[in-house]
Amino acid sequence: MEIELNDSDLAHRIGRGNDRAAEAELFRRMAPRIRLFGLRHLRNQDAADDLVQQVLISTLEALRAGRLRDSHKLSSFVLGTCRMMVLDLRRNSQRKERLLEQYGADLAPAPCAEPQLDSEQLAQCVQKLKERERSVIVLSFYDEQTRADVARFLGVSEANLRVIRHRALHQLRDCMGAAA
Amino acid sequence: MTCGTPLDAAILADYWLGALPESEEQSVEEHLFACDECGARLREVIALAGAIHNLAREGSLLMVVSDAFIQRAAEQGLHVRQYAPPRGGSVECTVTAGDDLLIGRLTADLSGAKRVDLSVCNQRGREQVRLADIPFHSAAGSVVFQQSITYAKAAPSETMIARLVALDDAGGEHLLGEYTFHHTRTMPGPGAW
Repeated sequence: MEIELNDSDLAHRIGRGNDRAAEAELFRRMAPRIRLFGLRHLRNQDAADDLVQQVLISTLEALRAGRLRDSHKLSSFVLGTCRMMVLDLRRNSQRKERLLEQYGADLAPAPCAEPQLDSEQLAQCVQKLKERERSVIVLSFYDEQTRADVARFLGVSEANLRVIRHRALHQLRDCMGAAA
Repeated sequence: MTCGTPLDAAILADYWLGALPESEEQSVEEHLFACDECGARLREVIALAGAIHNLAREGSLLMVVSDAFIQRAAEQGLHVRQYAPPRGGSVECTVTAGDDLLIGRLTADLSGAKRVDLSVCNQRGREQVRLADIPFHSAAGSVVFQQSITYAKAAPSETMIARLVALDDAGGEHLLGEYTFHHTRTMPGPGAW
């Protein structure tokens, strides 16, 4: 159930303890944001889901213990926790196992509806791009080749590469319509 | 709630690719942690990136590629079939069901060229497709292109001629090289289109 609370009120309610509706709202609100952060930094869906669980547990514990001094900064606190957790995950995967064992599947993140793309339409749209734009788009997103690799291949600076990629991406999205 | 300062999809793509300066990346993340509308747009960008990745793996695009692309595809277990006919010469070629990418390597003296087109012609030399202003390195001495494996697997036995053409500022064309691929069909299918 979605409840209308700003972040500050939400933090206060959770801090007062035993407010399951407020805790559920925290999970609903923050889980998709944490998951995106996890996907960006961990490049793995399972690892991103694990991050969601760990950050939510940690946030909940902090709120219950009154460790969030400025309740207006709930989002910043969660983001900061994400950053620390990702660093921690990279350093020590054992902590992840321990936390997951402790809390189990109770905090399994709700599946996100991922946008679906028509691959045939996408192929046509990619083929319509100019040669350099197509190369930039495909080489950038295929195995995420480094900017330096792609720029060297094209014989352009990294700044120019960025301009070409932006132009190509906008053309692709226009060609694909709202779906992309 | 509508976002008053929506993040551009291209910036979100840069973020996804790790191509933003650190300070800009941090401000994008702060925005994403307060704005689900831009989060949804990032999800669209991620989906697009994934679909392009899959498209590249399918090998169905006709395009110029880099050696790094071929190397990474091979490292990821894709079977790459390559042909390199000599300049002015020909090569016998085919594809099998196990092939994932079909690559042609065209050697040419590219020094001094400002713009190069790749013209794909039928056996009579009539142009079917032109890849205009392809990426190339003047010192590389070759252009590497990917033919659509989907097309090649379906194609009957036929001859394809590839031409590298340099264009000058006035639009004049200068042939850098011509390369003939004699494709023999080895997979089941029609004998002709």
